[in-house]
Amino acid sequence: MPSDPDKVFPTGLTAGQAEELHGYMIGGTRSFFMISALAHILAYILTPWLK
Amino acid sequence: MINGKMWLVVKPTVGIPLFLAGVVVASLSVHTALLLNTAYFPAFLRGAAPARTSDVGPAPGVAMSKVMLEQR
Repeated sequence: MPSDPDKVFPTGLTAGQAEELHGYMIGGTRSFFMISALAHILAYILTPWLK
Repeated sequence: MINGKMWLVVKPTVGIPLFLAGVVVASLSVHTALLLNTAYFPAFLRGAAPARTSDVGPAPGVAMSKVMLEQR
């Protein structure tokens, strides 16, 4: 039986809303990763780290 | 993948702050470890000129922090 797309789960979200929210979480995590990668590159260049 | 369905189980008003708090704890612990175990990080915070890689001696560890505390 295909799940009801409008069913509201205990957290107050529908399945579609949960997927949408998770998309934002993943996007935010990717942004954090890119900023962190840049910071590590700068740390490698500007500090004695790993040298 | 089914990861998105976690928000059908965990309320976002609980899960998101917990997730971000975890990131804060991880970040603070890494920066603290660097502060205690490198020479260049405390020197940077003191505004010292960036040490050339040849100048940098072995990482003094906690001893460096004691030196800093005594200098205050």
